[in-house]
Amino acid sequence: MRVYQFRHIRVLVSLAPSAGWAATMRVVAKERLQAILEKAFPDAPEVLVIDRGGGDHFEARVTDSSFNGLSMIDQHKLIYKALAEPWADGTIHELRIRTKGVTDTGGAS
Amino acid sequence: MSYSEKIQEVIDSAPVALFMKGTPDAIMCGNSERALGALRRAGASVTAVDVLTDMQIREDLSAISGWPTIPQVFVGGELVGGADIVEELERSGELERTLIEKLGENYWESRGEQTAVLTEA
Repeated sequence: MRVYQFRHIRVLVSLAPSAGWAATMRVVAKERLQAILEKAFPDAPEVLVIDRGGGDHFEARVTDSSFNGLSMIDQHKLIYKALAEPWADGTIHELRIRTKGVTDTGGAS
Repeated sequence: MSYSEKIQEVIDSAPVALFMKGTPDAIMCGNSERALGALRRAGASVTAVDVLTDMQIREDLSAISGWPTIPQVFVGGELVGGADIVEELERSGELERTLIEKLGENYWESRGEQTAVLTEA
């Protein structure tokens, strides 16, 4: 079983006697984040959530036209806003963010 | 003074304010290390605040900045971002441009680090 953040240990021990279960929970969490972002950015040419280990460390990569003209700060704030719930409930402990706007020609800017 | 007032004072007065986990001499988090590393390489004058000394600091800081995570980097009183943004700005050469724009061409002359310890009194 992987090393989990201390505050999650009790929950995981009671729910998850096997490492297989923990791995399943991580996939579920990643897919949940992926679904939340796809819903928040329905026209985005790229939405990708990457599992970065530890059970609650993730990376979000989103390319979307709603980022056009925004500072990186404001782009990342939109990601934080979309993921407010999984932040609050502890699904995410650490998140790397990579955002890009979309150019008129359809390429990433 | 409340934490909020003290946080605001650091943000307003420090050329570069870094709210981090730990101190520059004893960094407690990889992301804080990434942000500090980029600022060091850019030759910034960094005022570091350890948010781990009291949970309240973190809460009050996020309420002020609207940014949920640590580290947080402010240049010339304005939030620049966390580790991901600061590293990306460094890669694109924009970090130095931001420092020059906000602090002047000779910002690096005062390079170095100091730690501001926040207490509520």
